[in-house]
Amino acid sequence: MPTTPLQQPSCPSARDRLVRGIRQGFPIFLGYVPVGTAFGILARSWDLSPVQAIACSATALAGAGQFIGLSLMKAGADVASVLVATTVVNLRYVLFAATLSPYVKTASLPGQAALAFSVTDETFAVNMNALRRGTGDVWSMAGVGAVAWTGWVLGTALGALGSGLIGDPYRFGVEFAMPAMFTVLLVAQAEDKRHVVIAVVAAILAVVFALVLPGKWYIVAAAIGAATFGTVVYR
Amino acid sequence: MKSTYVWAIVAGMGLANYTVRFIPMALMARLEFPKTVQRWLSFIPVSVMAALVVGEVLRPDGKWLPPLENPYLFAALPTAFVYYKWRNFLGTTVVGILFYLAFKALLG
Repeated sequence: MPTTPLQQPSCPSARDRLVRGIRQGFPIFLGYVPVGTAFGILARSWDLSPVQAIACSATALAGAGQFIGLSLMKAGADVASVLVATTVVNLRYVLFAATLSPYVKTASLPGQAALAFSVTDETFAVNMNALRRGTGDVWSMAGVGAVAWTGWVLGTALGALGSGLIGDPYRFGVEFAMPAMFTVLLVAQAEDKRHVVIAVVAAILAVVFALVLPGKWYIVAAAIGAATFGTVVYR
Repeated sequence: MKSTYVWAIVAGMGLANYTVRFIPMALMARLEFPKTVQRWLSFIPVSVMAALVVGEVLRPDGKWLPPLENPYLFAALPTAFVYYKWRNFLGTTVVGILFYLAFKALLG
């Protein structure tokens, strides 16, 4: 595991690495704009103001958590139960942030604070892939985070302020942007036989857990199960 | 909906989502993990990716689709092959969307 991601053989400037991250994160942008738009439309239809909808996306950056928060608000749940529900849905970020932590040791505490803000399923997937093949570092992570955040907030603003202008973004097939990206990243991660075996175990566990666990818990459960399997089998 | 209620939730959600991201990252970046834990963590990304693909492809929007009527599944297979051969991240994502549109049209 590389502990000093800044010491690449060729060391491009911070600005170049930031731009590289923005390029790496562009598929996330494609996927986030339409989902953000959906959130904006839904938030408006349920009486949130455009400013509230955009502020929620800009500060929480939490796809599923935000949708669940909205529906609980609609149902009139009290503040505490809305917050607990949206937080529990996103507890998998704990696992993602912990997995990313060895790669951000070189960053200052404010730098780590900024990078932590943009941890999502999608940025985690893109960043881990780049970090493991040596094309990622704290600056590219910042670029990935920035372009993902921009897509999410821009999409929310489009939805909240006037979606009639763009019509249905799904006619462009954008709902496949995220599945396509995860498929690509899975192939990229399957770098040797061990990883292929672990991926198959994780996929089987994911199906099983998705059938029995609520929400997105199957991701954490399958990942912990498959990684433990790998650690025990490949010692 | 009452404005103070919504703002309290918006603020709380921002804070809560940030806490679950920042605390583990900042705390664990200060530790040196034993070898076994390092190996375990090195298997997390591929496991997460496989789980995400399963969820996004077999159960888009939280609904299981029958495999033979699932354009996500049909599109994911050639997308994986194109990336395996081409190794272009953004290009393959765009090609994958085209596969998806084609299969969605074919499957009605």
